[in-house]
Amino acid sequence: MKHFIFIGFVIFLGEISSFAQDITLKGRVVETNSNEPIPDVEINIKASIFNTETNALGEFHFLQDNLPQGQQILIVSKTGYITLKLPIIIQNEVSINLDPILMEIDLSEVEQQIGIISLSDNELEDDAGITFNISGLLQASDDVFLNAAAYDFSTTFFNPRGFDNANGKILINGIEMNKQFDGRPQWADWGGLNDLQRNQEFSMGLQPNDYTFGDVAGTTNIIMRASQYRKGGRISYASSNRSYRGRVMGSYSSGLLKSGWAYSVLLSRRYGDGGFQEGTLYDANSFFASAEKRLNDKHSINFTAFYTPNRRGKSTAITDEVKDLKGIDYNPNWGYQAGEIRNSRIKEVKEPVFMVNHYWQLNEKTSLNTNFGYQFGKIGNTRIDNGGTRLVEVDGQQIYIGGARNPAPNYYQKLPSYFLRFENLTAYDYQLAYLAEQKFINDGQLDWDALYEANRIARSTGGNSIYAIQEDRTDDTQISANSILNSRISEHFTLNANVSYRNLNSENYAVVSDLLGGTGYLDIDYFAEGANNTVIGEVAQSDLRNKNRIVTEGERYKYNYELTANVASGFVQGQFKYSTLDLYVAAMASQTSYQRNGLFENGNYPGALSFGESEKLSFKNYGAKAGILYKITGRHLIDFNAGYFTKAPSLRNSFSNARQNNAVVIGLEDEKIKNVDLSYIFRSSLLKARLTGYYSTIENQTEINFFFTESAQGFEDGNAFVQEVVNGINTRKVGAELGVEAQVTPTIKLKAVAAFGQNVYTNNPNHYLTSDDFEILTFGNGTTKIKDYHVAGGPERAYQLGFEYRDPTFWWMGVTANYFSNAYVDLSTLRRSDAFSFDADGQLFNDYDPEIAKELLRQEEFDDYILINVVGGKSWKVKKYFFGFFATVSNVLDQQYKTGGFEDSRLADYRTVQEEQNRAKPIFGNRYFFGYGTTYYVNVYVRF
Amino acid sequence: MKTKKRYQLYAYSIFLIVVSSCVKSDDYNVPITEVVAPDIDPNEVIEISALRDLLEQEQTTTENPDAILTLENTEKYITGYVISSDEGGNFFEELIIQNKASNPTAGVKILIDVNPLFTTFEFGRKVYVKLDGLTVGINSGVLTLGIRAGNNVEKIAESTLFDFLIRDVDVALIEPLPITISDFTDLKTNLYIHLEDVQFNRYDALGNNRKTFAAEPTDLFDGERTLESCINGATTIFSTSTFADFKAVLLPDGRGSLDGILTYNFFGDALNVAVNDPSTIYFENEDRCDPSEIDCGLASSTGNNVLFTDFFETQSPGDPISGNGWTNYMEAGSEQWEAFTSTGSSPSLGISARMQAFNSGDDSNIAWLITPQIDFDTQDGETLNFKTSNSFADGSILEIYFSNDWDGNPDNIPSSTWNLLSAAYITQDSDPFGSWFPSGNVSLECISGSGYIALKYIGSGEAEFDGTYEFDEIVINSN
Repeated sequence: MKHFIFIGFVIFLGEISSFAQDITLKGRVVETNSNEPIPDVEINIKASIFNTETNALGEFHFLQDNLPQGQQILIVSKTGYITLKLPIIIQNEVSINLDPILMEIDLSEVEQQIGIISLSDNELEDDAGITFNISGLLQASDDVFLNAAAYDFSTTFFNPRGFDNANGKILINGIEMNKQFDGRPQWADWGGLNDLQRNQEFSMGLQPNDYTFGDVAGTTNIIMRASQYRKGGRISYASSNRSYRGRVMGSYSSGLLKSGWAYSVLLSRRYGDGGFQEGTLYDANSFFASAEKRLNDKHSINFTAFYTPNRRGKSTAITDEVKDLKGIDYNPNWGYQAGEIRNSRIKEVKEPVFMVNHYWQLNEKTSLNTNFGYQFGKIGNTRIDNGGTRLVEVDGQQIYIGGARNPAPNYYQKLPSYFLRFENLTAYDYQLAYLAEQKFINDGQLDWDALYEANRIARSTGGNSIYAIQEDRTDDTQISANSILNSRISEHFTLNANVSYRNLNSENYAVVSDLLGGTGYLDIDYFAEGANNTVIGEVAQSDLRNKNRIVTEGERYKYNYELTANVASGFVQGQFKYSTLDLYVAAMASQTSYQRNGLFENGNYPGALSFGESEKLSFKNYGAKAGILYKITGRHLIDFNAGYFTKAPSLRNSFSNARQNNAVVIGLEDEKIKNVDLSYIFRSSLLKARLTGYYSTIENQTEINFFFTESAQGFEDGNAFVQEVVNGINTRKVGAELGVEAQVTPTIKLKAVAAFGQNVYTNNPNHYLTSDDFEILTFGNGTTKIKDYHVAGGPERAYQLGFEYRDPTFWWMGVTANYFSNAYVDLSTLRRSDAFSFDADGQLFNDYDPEIAKELLRQEEFDDYILINVVGGKSWKVKKYFFGFFATVSNVLDQQYKTGGFEDSRLADYRTVQEEQNRAKPIFGNRYFFGYGTTYYVNVYVRF
Repeated sequence: MKTKKRYQLYAYSIFLIVVSSCVKSDDYNVPITEVVAPDIDPNEVIEISALRDLLEQEQTTTENPDAILTLENTEKYITGYVISSDEGGNFFEELIIQNKASNPTAGVKILIDVNPLFTTFEFGRKVYVKLDGLTVGINSGVLTLGIRAGNNVEKIAESTLFDFLIRDVDVALIEPLPITISDFTDLKTNLYIHLEDVQFNRYDALGNNRKTFAAEPTDLFDGERTLESCINGATTIFSTSTFADFKAVLLPDGRGSLDGILTYNFFGDALNVAVNDPSTIYFENEDRCDPSEIDCGLASSTGNNVLFTDFFETQSPGDPISGNGWTNYMEAGSEQWEAFTSTGSSPSLGISARMQAFNSGDDSNIAWLITPQIDFDTQDGETLNFKTSNSFADGSILEIYFSNDWDGNPDNIPSSTWNLLSAAYITQDSDPFGSWFPSGNVSLECISGSGYIALKYIGSGEAEFDGTYEFDEIVINSN
């Protein structure tokens, strides 16, 4: 396939020269005040198919020789500028040179953009866990529906068409930024660079994109190239009570200088001791620098580097019981240490990115863009390790004593429900429950002093740390290279192609980041059981090659392995444009390989089971897509897209227990994705509307979950820490989207948006458990019965009514009312397997009642809710400076709502689930993420 | 001019960045968590034994031996040193304290709904316990403090822990109390003890079925193993929780000393020894003190020739067994084998032989009953049959031996070599007390020469060791 693409390049390049034509219409666009050229301005001849864009010098030209003749309107537009409508007369063989066309900055438009982008970056980096916000992907769109999805729906994790961000692609300067590990972009890697990320190109769904084949949720390419930034600087300050408390940002771009150089720099800092959730500290700095040299008319070389080290305190999902006692802003992860809030779960991301981009204008019609990217650094997540032990030898046998209970203040054994778990409750039980409740309400935070005291005591008796802070690390080193060809072969036909390669080496390990006053930590698995004729002194070892090691701060322990991934891919696309019809067809092929290399020999998995290289996994993938845009008239359009492609499973889902061994997911296969959508688009000066119906399926998805369960039926008493592998998952997403925008008066705009979808599982996928206590456990026929259950991931239905007023004196405001429904809790797949209904002997529980079972397995649907958001802003121009502010208040009514949640698989069999359901308050109830209450965000800035 | 302004702006922005943005870094100092000495008036501190007295008073006045007592308005404390540790998982949500670091005389168990405790109340830590609001009772056999729940003593809630338990700065070196198994009493429970020269019983610690501390399939909540004294053969139960970190460790197979806590089993009916972790078991001597054994197995048939028999029907009830060649010898104590008859719930077989240390008042009771000499060379196919029964055997032991080097002189009994006839079944404490249990058709064919068969009873006047064994219908056959 790669060969095919290269041949394709050669053929098309050879034909290019024959299309050279005289230029009949050209021009240059500059900014009114500064006289700086404006790149990427869209130039359209009204009511025709002819359009082009300005280059870095602000220049444009139409190549075609059959431009519509006579009096025409030239539309010059760019987001953030006031659109110009220039009457011109086109006569063949009479060249028109419009130089300069002066464009003026549209203050209100810029305002809104600043606000909106700043607004959404709060949510982007949320690593809440189960929902992966896609709004970052959608920012660049001017579609009414997608705008609503990006800004107003994003706080509740609404995902258009039910796709999360692993189904979309983020590119920066043409280089894919999605992580190979899980397919998701790591937003923190470019957080705080907002001012220099305004140049974004978005392709909805599988619609054609000039850089890549893309994915079903859409593709965004962020252009971060020195020459593409408008000359000038900006300093802004933002404040919010959502995630960070303050943000300062300063940037300056030179524009293209006479010397052919352009440069751009940005510095920003975001900080806060806590956001809406308590203890969620925010400590992020961002550095960006880019320099570009225009070597000559044909060649430009750009260098871009950004480094956005950030530390954030995490919060977590909580049960209803906890929420009722502590509120939706409760975060159990922190406690006071010496009067200061300290969060035990800190996520730190430090992954600088370096890029070299070469832009080669081969001729008037063809450009070749070649990019190299290099990224390295760390992602670390800390947590409290409470399994510290010391070694005791008895009669030549080694054992480990110590370990402590989970010190989390919301640990289930500390909550009132735990004391009320019995059927016949006594006054004493109620007393304990009451005392636990009072303690939780009045304190309810982590007791750091107790952890230090435990270690101090252990240390004074010669023992190791009982508690430590463990940091789980992923240290990636990634090299990317690609070449993107764009050739406008004729006025009707544009060819896009790329070849790309990426290599990832990912080191994964745990490191002791704080011994909490102790001197060392014994690196063994406290939970290892010396059962089945195994020797505890062996099975408990993290590394058999280095037994009973005492580790100190900074040392690797517990697990240590490397993952390597190599991906080579190619893509070709032809885009055809005719007066009433646009067509495209594209194909891609790729080759992916993965391998794990164990650096520790795990005691449960001696030898090659855990140590050294795993089996090498190899995936060949391909795909094709095509679409048509039929212009019935200039006002009525029909758009149809269809695509089919396969996708290698992510690294995360390829190895079933990567921390401990080399095992590969049994029956691992490529995902198969099918998508069709059909839209009707209406455009008039008064009304813009789009109605889309879509249908897409994904087959063969894989999911791996890690948890402790008491329902591993058939294994001893059922208690085990397990890896749950579900594969061959098929899902279907079907629904409709509507977006309507009416410019009622020049100052008033009304919006209406609706999403109506259904995202369900369409089969009963394969299901098995692995564990270091047993090899593989399957239940019944080895499937989990999730067919027709909903795929969790934000509300399936969302509606918006919006109002916007733009005053000619540069202030504006908007109000939206948003209604959400049909959001579902994430399923426990173990509960839907036969582990639910079968007793340990593999037979049905003798008290099993299918009617009760059905009730117990009903998927919780969250309550509907309404969110009202208000935004507004104003700007002034004083001499050469623009001043402005933007403010928004979200969830004005302080509506309490659940953005997501999941069932606990700890109790997953008929009897225990029923017992739980019968309790006034379940002990292992569903855990939820709650949306923010009323929050604000303000931003002031000055531009020059 | 223009550039200057720009620089001013930048300078201002940098100033903003630096000034406005302090977030706590991830370098934390180790907080000082050292204990501060409490201010408690010594006059408010009472002895742990006084606590027991208060309880016994209550039990006497209420005429309810199971009564518990809630302490109110006493404004008193007890104090003691922590001797239990849940570090190894063998103790759970309880803390045992004793009154002194050395030569302790009283201890009490405190029930606390907190886990882990060793991270706060380490071994040797001196603590004060505020009594008002607590309830004292006998729980699983031992003196226990906790919270009243109906008629039971239950755990102190986590949030009120420090209202009742106050740590002192002192962490003492605990000197284990030297004691022998035979000296175990109620009053020695909740103390940290030292046992000299003990070992795990050979059936637990040796052979192919060497047992773990508490990970045998039959171990439900606690693994109970027999610990025996090499000094006097006394035995007790060594108990380990099935939740202990060392449950799956094989029992040490040597002999030596051991430091642990004397307590009762869950049901409160048998004394137990438990360790905080196995590092206080010092069984370094590989030379065990097991009796030598003679095991010819069980015979499939019984010969018709009777070499010796006695159904004790000619003995006088109440008198010591005598005549018919029997040697009835008291090695220790004042009790010996005697004849008895009973038709009650624990009936005799007509007239039977019996040995009991009950109410003996003796520190130790060792009583022998020895057959006349039997020659094993003049015939083949010798077998032994007898029956035993017991009443509350508890920690007392009955064993049957053979010796071919005893000279018949009673004074030389203790110094002769006695070989255990391990194939013979002797009733256990767990057997129903009314029934008689046959020994099985014990083969003696592998014995050559001539010698004596002897019953040996080991017990004491202590309630835990003063059991009764009954013996009857002994027949030695041959072909």
